[in-house]
Amino acid sequence: MSGTAVKLAIESSAAPKPKLRVLLVEDNSLDAELVIRALRKNSFDVEAVIVQDEDSFIEALGTHSPEVVLADYNLPNWKGMEALTILRRQNLDIPMILVSGALGDVLAVECIRQGATDYVLKDGLARLPEVVRRALQEKHERSLRHQAEKDLAKKADELARSNADLEQFAYVASHDLQEPLRMVASYTQLLSERYRGKLDENADKFIGYASEGALRMQVLIQDLLAFSRVGRANATFTNVDCKGLMEEVRKSLASAIQESGAVITDADLPSVWTDRTQMSQVLQNLIGNAIKFRGTKPPTVSIQAEKTREHWQFCVTDNGIGISPEFGENIFVVFQRLHARTEYPGNGIGLAICKKIIERNGGKIWVESQPGKGSTFKFTIPFQSADEGKA
Amino acid sequence: MKSVRQLLIVDDNPADVTLAREALEVCAPGCQISSVEDGVEALAFLGRREKYANAARPDLVILDLNLPKRGGLAVLAAMKAGPDLRLIPVIIFSTSKLNQDVVRSYELGANCYVCKPGNLNEFFAAMKSIEQFWFGAATLPPRGE
Repeated sequence: MSGTAVKLAIESSAAPKPKLRVLLVEDNSLDAELVIRALRKNSFDVEAVIVQDEDSFIEALGTHSPEVVLADYNLPNWKGMEALTILRRQNLDIPMILVSGALGDVLAVECIRQGATDYVLKDGLARLPEVVRRALQEKHERSLRHQAEKDLAKKADELARSNADLEQFAYVASHDLQEPLRMVASYTQLLSERYRGKLDENADKFIGYASEGALRMQVLIQDLLAFSRVGRANATFTNVDCKGLMEEVRKSLASAIQESGAVITDADLPSVWTDRTQMSQVLQNLIGNAIKFRGTKPPTVSIQAEKTREHWQFCVTDNGIGISPEFGENIFVVFQRLHARTEYPGNGIGLAICKKIIERNGGKIWVESQPGKGSTFKFTIPFQSADEGKA
Repeated sequence: MKSVRQLLIVDDNPADVTLAREALEVCAPGCQISSVEDGVEALAFLGRREKYANAARPDLVILDLNLPKRGGLAVLAAMKAGPDLRLIPVIIFSTSKLNQDVVRSYELGANCYVCKPGNLNEFFAAMKSIEQFWFGAATLPPRGE
């Protein structure tokens, strides 16, 4: 064993004091005694190990598990500040307090900057108990915060994993469901074509229902796949010029626009930081809905964007049939529909996809509407950086 | 005189084989259709081994990707590595729409990739266009007997 490690257990006779395991880096045994006395006096039940070189310091860290390290700055064979390097290397969060003769302000500040918790002069040891108490308190708070952060990170991890599992499940399920369903759809169609009018009237009707059901389920599965893909596809963020994007959206909705005589206006749309394909899908779904759920008048749809302090806020306003506020949340849920299929076609996937895209983008989407008074769908796109908000 | 067209369908789903036969019966009544259910059988058929010693050399192969024992891509790779078999046009006929499957198929030398339609009429239409193109418009390589 190299160096000397002297263990001093100083029994206390007064009221129970908190135990404190101290690792003292000190070559002068008289100074060491003074330090221990200062701590013991009405404050701690001290159990100290005194070392004066690197090897015995490292050994004592393992055997003594100190709660605090008190180190002299100048030692014959070592430097007190190197204790800090060792604590760091071993990833130990133990407060290190310099207990030394006068160092001068510059050096003292430098030691603290390097990570010493505090600095106590040997002729001011009366301060020491308070300094130690504060250091332990800070460490306690630090470890609580650290634990809370760890717990939070773990929860976030679990959530992300369970979300990923769910998405994977939705994808695999819908993908693998397609295959047997294709058989049901194809063969009920074959039955209905080959045996129409050859069985009785009921048989034709039954086969028809089965065949329609299978076809509808195929569409649902494809919608579900599209929905689960929003999470699977890697979004590529770029600066997307929404004015240019609107041209594409108009083109893909051309037949609906022409058929309905819809008038679509957009004014001064900005460039925003997002995934181009997904942004296009959001606008297409919202404008498509505005046209689909029109009233008796020809549809008018206006798309506007305004800059708030935190984000861009887009508004898609129509003069359609509107939505009762009580359904305002429901409409964003997968396969939620408010109308019979015969009134308005569709599976209730469009707004669910919009919501998923916008939320993955860090934004929010909601609707403001009254039945018969049109609807305004609003969504937000966060700025690329805080600077965008100031510009 | 045109000899009888020989078509081999490699698909483990008998329902799909039946649908293909139904479709071809209408549009290509003269076509001789054989079918096998997995990749190992497919290569035995093409190599005329064991029970397939007297099998006819197909003019065209319709190959599913998801097959038991040896997958469709392995069968495709083996065919394209054979001096005679590599001449036979292979049509990949799969439900998969994954880019990686499509790209890999063409990389391995597939002659075309057709997604199995989910709807009967589209399925029939796909079979019909395969038949019309490969047995009509296209000139096939001579059979290396």
